[in-house]
Amino acid sequence: MSKKVDSSHSQGWNFEAAAMPFVDSLYNTAYRMTRNSEDAQDLVQETYLKAYRHYDKFQEGTNFKAWLFKILKNSFINNYRKKQSRPPQSDFAEIEDALESRVSDEATQNIKNPEDELLEDVLDEDVQRALDELPHDYRMAILLADLEGFSYKEIAEILEVPLGTVMSRLYRGRKLLESAMLDYAREHGYLRDGSPAKMRTRDADSKEYRDKASG
Amino acid sequence: MDCHKVREVVFLYADKEMDGELLISFEQHVAICPECARRAVHAERLIMVVRKRCGRQMAPADLRRRILTSLRHREAGN
Repeated sequence: MSKKVDSSHSQGWNFEAAAMPFVDSLYNTAYRMTRNSEDAQDLVQETYLKAYRHYDKFQEGTNFKAWLFKILKNSFINNYRKKQSRPPQSDFAEIEDALESRVSDEATQNIKNPEDELLEDVLDEDVQRALDELPHDYRMAILLADLEGFSYKEIAEILEVPLGTVMSRLYRGRKLLESAMLDYAREHGYLRDGSPAKMRTRDADSKEYRDKASG
Repeated sequence: MDCHKVREVVFLYADKEMDGELLISFEQHVAICPECARRAVHAERLIMVVRKRCGRQMAPADLRRRILTSLRHREAGN
């Protein structure tokens, strides 16, 4: 019996010891989801308080880090998702359309992808901007897989979606991300020389667009 | 496996989530199809770019303090 009284105290210390090493990981994900430090800090703090309150529901032997991320995800959805009017959905609808046609082009034409060697040339800020502006479902899946190294099974647990949904979010999310970051790189001009084929396409597109726009 | 299927599952391969029969038939196809071999490398590269270029944000020191304080406050309140 006396053991039981002790356990409420030691639970706190166990929790701290188990949970505190994940502050940076949780904060990094929270920061990329909320896109500002203050909200990210509030979100992480809320995650810790909720996790502490429900620590008895955590099943020993299961993945503690994944459990914390699941709480973070739920807190994000409850508090922040509604507030975020960005990213502009219409822009992404356009990108998705472009992506569809590009994927089917690729499927039918056996083209050599000129972007192959260009990925590494994209500046950090353009990669980050592309990631930050992804729809949150895609962004979260990519953060969990690429930055936190969770397996598909763990991501499915955290996001509470089927494995197939994890796969499709990663697939579509990464295609969108790639497309957006290469577009930003070209906008900034530094991929121009490396990507003549693509530039021709874009010039043609924009000329066509101008022609249409001017009637 | 054909090229269409490779496109569908290429991230499974790049994420090292592929095993068994699927992995064998993926590798068999990639060994004889340069286009799909390129696709597989490209998928791995994309993942690496995201991993390397998205600098990790470290939690501010103050956040740790805030969390510990609020946890201990809870604990004392129990």
